[in-house]
Amino acid sequence: MDRTSRRRPRRYAAIAAATAAAALLAAGCSSSSGGKQAEEDSGTTSAGKASTPRMTVALVTHQAPGDTFWDIVRKGAQAAAAKDNIKLVYSSDPNAGNQANLVQNAIDQKVDGIAVTLAKPDAMKDVVAKAEKAGIPVVGLNSGLSDWKKLGMLEFFGQDETVAGEAFGKKLNEVGAKKAVCVIQEQGNVGLTQRCAGVKKTFDGTTETLYVNGTDMPSVKSTITAKLKQDSSIDYVVALGAPYALTAVQSVSDAGSKAKIATFDLNKDLTSAIKKGDIQFAVDQQPYLQGYLAVDSLWLYKNNGNYSGGGEQPVLTGPAFVDSSNVDTIAKFAAKGTR
Amino acid sequence: MTTTNGSSPNGTLVKDTAPQDGKPVVELRGAGKSYGNIRALHGVDLSVRPSQVTCVLGDNGAGKSTLIKIISGLHQHTEGEFLVDGEPVRFSTPREALDKGIATVYQDLATVPLMPVWRNFFLGSEMTKGPWPLRRLDIDRMKKTADEELRNMGIVLDDLDQPIGTLSGGQRQCVAIARAVYFGARVLILDEPTAALGVKQSGVVLKYIAAARDRGLGVIFITHNPHHAYMVGDHFSVLRLGTLELSAARSEITLEELTNHMAGGAELAALKHELAQVRGVDVEELPEESDLQVTPAAGGSSASDATR
Amino acid sequence: MTVTQATAPATSPSSPASPAAQRDGRTAQRSLGRRLLARPEVGALIAAVGVYVFFFAAAPAFREASALSTVLYQASVMGIMALPVALLMIGGEFDLSAGVAVTTSALTAAILSFQLSVNVWTGVVVALVVSLAVGAFNGWLLIKTGLPSFLVTLGSFLVLQGANLAVTKIFTSNVASDSISDMDGFDQAKTIFASEFSVGGVNVKITIIYWLVFAAAATWLLLRTKFGNWIFAVGGNKDSARAVGVPVNLTKIALFMGVGAGAWFVGMHLLFSFNTVQSGEGVGNEFLYIIAAVIGGCLLTGGYGSAIGPVIGAFIFGMVSQGIVYANWNPDWFKAFLGVMLLVAALVNLWVRRTATRR
Repeated sequence: MDRTSRRRPRRYAAIAAATAAAALLAAGCSSSSGGKQAEEDSGTTSAGKASTPRMTVALVTHQAPGDTFWDIVRKGAQAAAAKDNIKLVYSSDPNAGNQANLVQNAIDQKVDGIAVTLAKPDAMKDVVAKAEKAGIPVVGLNSGLSDWKKLGMLEFFGQDETVAGEAFGKKLNEVGAKKAVCVIQEQGNVGLTQRCAGVKKTFDGTTETLYVNGTDMPSVKSTITAKLKQDSSIDYVVALGAPYALTAVQSVSDAGSKAKIATFDLNKDLTSAIKKGDIQFAVDQQPYLQGYLAVDSLWLYKNNGNYSGGGEQPVLTGPAFVDSSNVDTIAKFAAKGTR
Repeated sequence: MTTTNGSSPNGTLVKDTAPQDGKPVVELRGAGKSYGNIRALHGVDLSVRPSQVTCVLGDNGAGKSTLIKIISGLHQHTEGEFLVDGEPVRFSTPREALDKGIATVYQDLATVPLMPVWRNFFLGSEMTKGPWPLRRLDIDRMKKTADEELRNMGIVLDDLDQPIGTLSGGQRQCVAIARAVYFGARVLILDEPTAALGVKQSGVVLKYIAAARDRGLGVIFITHNPHHAYMVGDHFSVLRLGTLELSAARSEITLEELTNHMAGGAELAALKHELAQVRGVDVEELPEESDLQVTPAAGGSSASDATR
Repeated sequence: MTVTQATAPATSPSSPASPAAQRDGRTAQRSLGRRLLARPEVGALIAAVGVYVFFFAAAPAFREASALSTVLYQASVMGIMALPVALLMIGGEFDLSAGVAVTTSALTAAILSFQLSVNVWTGVVVALVVSLAVGAFNGWLLIKTGLPSFLVTLGSFLVLQGANLAVTKIFTSNVASDSISDMDGFDQAKTIFASEFSVGGVNVKITIIYWLVFAAAATWLLLRTKFGNWIFAVGGNKDSARAVGVPVNLTKIALFMGVGAGAWFVGMHLLFSFNTVQSGEGVGNEFLYIIAAVIGGCLLTGGYGSAIGPVIGAFIFGMVSQGIVYANWNPDWFKAFLGVMLLVAALVNLWVRRTATRR
């Protein structure tokens, strides 16, 4: 998308590798732009390593396979684990019952700490109590803002989807939107529904909901196009994930609509789209921070007895807005897949 | 159309070029087949000559299917010899058997029910026209040929485009027979063609067996109905428990004897005395064991004029 | 070898000669209308017209030409894949890996081009090879194991789904492929796989053209070639087909490879239309392809169907899923509406076929 930012001196090794590969595959078809070759050697977030004794932390989430968001959470957790000399055991299952089993599994492994998401707090109640009984500190992250204290957890890092949605709705009021359509890519997903509900709660204009088949991009594109044609008064498309926002850009152009696009969550391509003005803003709950803080806090608790919020207040990681004013700073990190 | 035709598909030509001295086209010498340590067939001698109908009779499990599977190329024999035109052969696919002019018409799987008659007729040996990337079916010629060939066999269909599944069982068998004749079969194997048919339909099929024979084909007619066999057969082989129990020319055997062999006469005779103890079982009509010796002199065949 | 012998029909002396045009009374000539109705796709066509008229009446926005273009776009992407899937179904097999195979193909091209920094066309060619290999492997495994294709391709579906995610993460440390939109050859490939043009002010996506061209080619293949004859035969009665010398295994493997080729084409469209591919995409689409084929009159049991059928099936699916949006019905009920509409379409289809075959 942005050719200009890609011009960088290339390393000889990379050129040699590319030449060899090109010769191997088909003579003279090496790409002169883009590709991994052009991707900068971004450097890792290595901040030294703690000399504390090795400990094991289990991170159990309700991630569905292949979800970008959780990938970033995990990267944050891994960065903290690497820094704190922690062995991180990551597991996930979107089904609450299975997720509870994974926590039980972690208890059986006698880990030194558990970080868990509370998408369905009731299903997790018993197993969290078991962990506490076994003397394993448990922290919450991401979802469960209203329940973590009841479950007797040590601390909580995150931001409810509803809170993010509410912030989003307020932002829509600021930019003067009148009618928004909230595009849900997975019907029946609790978190996505909460986001739309939050938007609806604070947004002064009308909010409509549109369900699309998230696993089929051409169908997402057609459905958003159809909605924009059906109702030409829509002036804001609210996407609930970066890839869907990028697809909505095409839909808006196909439909000849004047609607603007804003989204939840970030990725590399989305920051470019914000730079170009295709997408107005994105609200980020900083998943990297959630993963990082959750793991790091367990290290702090074990080694120094600290706990954020004193067991009373949650640590909010968002909402953080990304728009044309701050996108340049953030794009750098998004390119690495950590924002 | 590919290299399918062992000889010309033209019926009269087949007759002209067929060996006139009655040399067997297909011959088995002491052939047998074992599946692992189960011996399904053992020591079977069989010869098929042009313009002759060789009937293979036997009860279920007697080894009839194994026999035809060997000849049609679906299975391979594990003992003895299998000769075609005097040359030992061993087929690995039905295609190879077809190339030698051995065509099989199966009772239940002779055709693809949902496909039109003419497509069934040419299935596997389609006529095409045009250069490669645009090579296509020569539909007009196929329909015309199929119609002619079916009429030559005495089958008249109004609509060759109808699915073959809408024809009666007898008609389907007949299309399959006509098809094998057209594609230059020298030996036609018919697997129980009359088994699932009514009396009238069976008669129709027997008529076409005779028609195929008269066109110079050697026919192997598998059946467990001695009456059907005796109507068209020139030679009779009875299988029991995987071995040949009887092999006799038409002149050597009567329908009655054949029926007794088929009905498991030998075993029944042995049971006769036991059965006699049971009230209500009429054993008078059952043959004695002595009746079952093949008497070559017994030539007078009452039903020999059935089809000629 | 060509056939010349048909010019000299032999008349066997013993065959009962019959009057030329005699009918035996069993198989009365069916009327033209009846025969037309018995075509596999006619029921679907009537259902399609019904659905179109319904939404034309119910949704004002649906009446515009641009709405038709939107519907056709979604139908075309689904329909291109539904074609080889329908041929495979006529050949008596299923491919549950068809949905994720599309994603596999797109990811292969994207990751390979990006990682090696080569012209995107290299990735496109390698993706074709990989897609065909996946198809051939499915077919080979089916024949070797003798297991039902439902089971074999369910296995490859899960393998591909897992591999899509795992391989993507290994190379991009992310769950989506890197954008290749600024690489050499991208614009060229986009022109071929994902461009659009304007007809009377309405944007038409090029996939619609490909869809119709492929459908015509598939129809020709099915009805006018030897291979088409074999497809019907292996689906209708595999053992009969084998007995008369049809290369059953070859035919089935070729059909699976056809699905691979379709997956490749749609995968390339996804890649060049959206620049990146999410590794989780495509899951569940395999059923949409099968649904399109079945609505279009293909039998689930094989041996019967057409290539026009799935075109109409995909069109019905596209119309219903977009029509509900155009009609602005309560979106919470979307899936339920979709289900009801598809059921109605299928019933109309069934009714037409029953009426046609009754005599």
